[in-house]
Amino acid sequence: MKKIISVLAILVLALGVMSGCSKEDPNMTDSEYVQDKGTLVVGITDFAPMDYKDENGEWIGFDADMAKAFAESLGVSVEFKVINWDYKISELDAKGIDCVWNGMTIGDEVLAGMEVSNAYCKNAQVVVVKAQDAENYQTLDSIKELSFVVEAGSAGKKTAEANGLTYREAETQADTLLEVSSGTSQASIIDLLMAGAMIGEGTDYSDLAYTVSLTEEEYGVGFRKGSDLAEKLNQFFKDSYADGSMMKLAQTYGVQESVIAQ
Amino acid sequence: MFQTVIMSLNEGFLKTLEIFFLTLLGALPLGLIISFGSMSRFRPVKWFVKTIVWVVRGTPLMLQLLIIFYGPGKIFGTQFNIWGTGDIGRNVAVCVAFIINYACYFSEIYRGGIESIPRGQYEAGQVLGMTKSQVFFKVILMQVVKRIIPPMSNEIITLVKDTSLARIILVYEIIWAGQSFIKSSGAIWPLFFTGIYYLLFNGLLTVVFGYIEKKLDYYRG
Repeated sequence: MKKIISVLAILVLALGVMSGCSKEDPNMTDSEYVQDKGTLVVGITDFAPMDYKDENGEWIGFDADMAKAFAESLGVSVEFKVINWDYKISELDAKGIDCVWNGMTIGDEVLAGMEVSNAYCKNAQVVVVKAQDAENYQTLDSIKELSFVVEAGSAGKKTAEANGLTYREAETQADTLLEVSSGTSQASIIDLLMAGAMIGEGTDYSDLAYTVSLTEEEYGVGFRKGSDLAEKLNQFFKDSYADGSMMKLAQTYGVQESVIAQ
Repeated sequence: MFQTVIMSLNEGFLKTLEIFFLTLLGALPLGLIISFGSMSRFRPVKWFVKTIVWVVRGTPLMLQLLIIFYGPGKIFGTQFNIWGTGDIGRNVAVCVAFIINYACYFSEIYRGGIESIPRGQYEAGQVLGMTKSQVFFKVILMQVVKRIIPPMSNEIITLVKDTSLARIILVYEIIWAGQSFIKSSGAIWPLFFTGIYYLLFNGLLTVVFGYIEKKLDYYRG
């Protein structure tokens, strides 16, 4: 039933778009289409530190700021649109949005339905321990005996389960850090992106460090299938990585450890 | 599904009961000692105890749990973490926090009860040649118990529900067990269902207190 409804919804959307854009030249490339209408519509969800709102209600974050810069390079304005993550591909096809730029993990489903840019950021589940003990826990074998704490229902918990670790569950990833910091648990498993932003020098958890990466994934930006914008974005990534502006932004949001060299 | 939930809630409720009974076991006598302190004629002791009661009653139990459990390791460094990394340390920390907190509340109830006993009762005991402690334990305390049953039952029923705070330091009591189903399977009814456990247990306590009150109603003093 759900499927039928979503198919109907897509049909209605598609019809609306088609009737609205009937004058569109079928030979127009996707970048020409975007430049013609003058805005790049970016599909996002609220996902700090990639896309989130500042106190003035404006979208900021590593992804949001990169999207602004990319739109500028195309000579168009940018518009952020919060989407239902499950319908990201339908939204692209229906031209409700022009790209999905929200810490999207590159996987089979995404590759089949979209034109995906090069990976620009990596995420992983990393093991967090006390900084002073970090050198003793650099390998998977060395951490097997530790008492872990993970967020209930998180990717970190699945990782702990898959590796046969003994763990206790906490409500949030931040709670797990308090456990490790006060020594009531020996190690925690959290997202690399979060680890980069929340622990280490200059944070409240300067006594913590992350060591082993357990599962790794990569983030990319998705465009409509066959779009030439993906290639344009790859070039943009190369340029902004080369001139240092990409790393500078990454540092603003504490994700510099996760950026992939272009 | 229903069976898994019930099994999990039962396990959580056992932990709830464990915290409840251990707290009572520790807080009932400790409260009496604290009440002596706050009635002491030696001023420094009196003010010291009153200050502690003020701090403990004046701050949330949740905060006290966090400070007692995470405080030593977080503030003084990991080597001062007295609770270790296992289950036992966690359970002990919960009991310590609950016992201190509830002993302070109980102490004020005891004090009210003790101070409400007329002077004549002490004098009567002395006239009969009883020592000070004999007078207290054999004459006064019995009457105090009778008088403080209603306020104590209030506090004890509150304790049953306060045990749910233990989940703050990752002790898996019944609310935690109910809540975990929201994340794992999106089911919210197990959380609401925990209410039935509390309600039944508190109903039982109410009946027990009613019975004790009736039993002690042997004379009007």
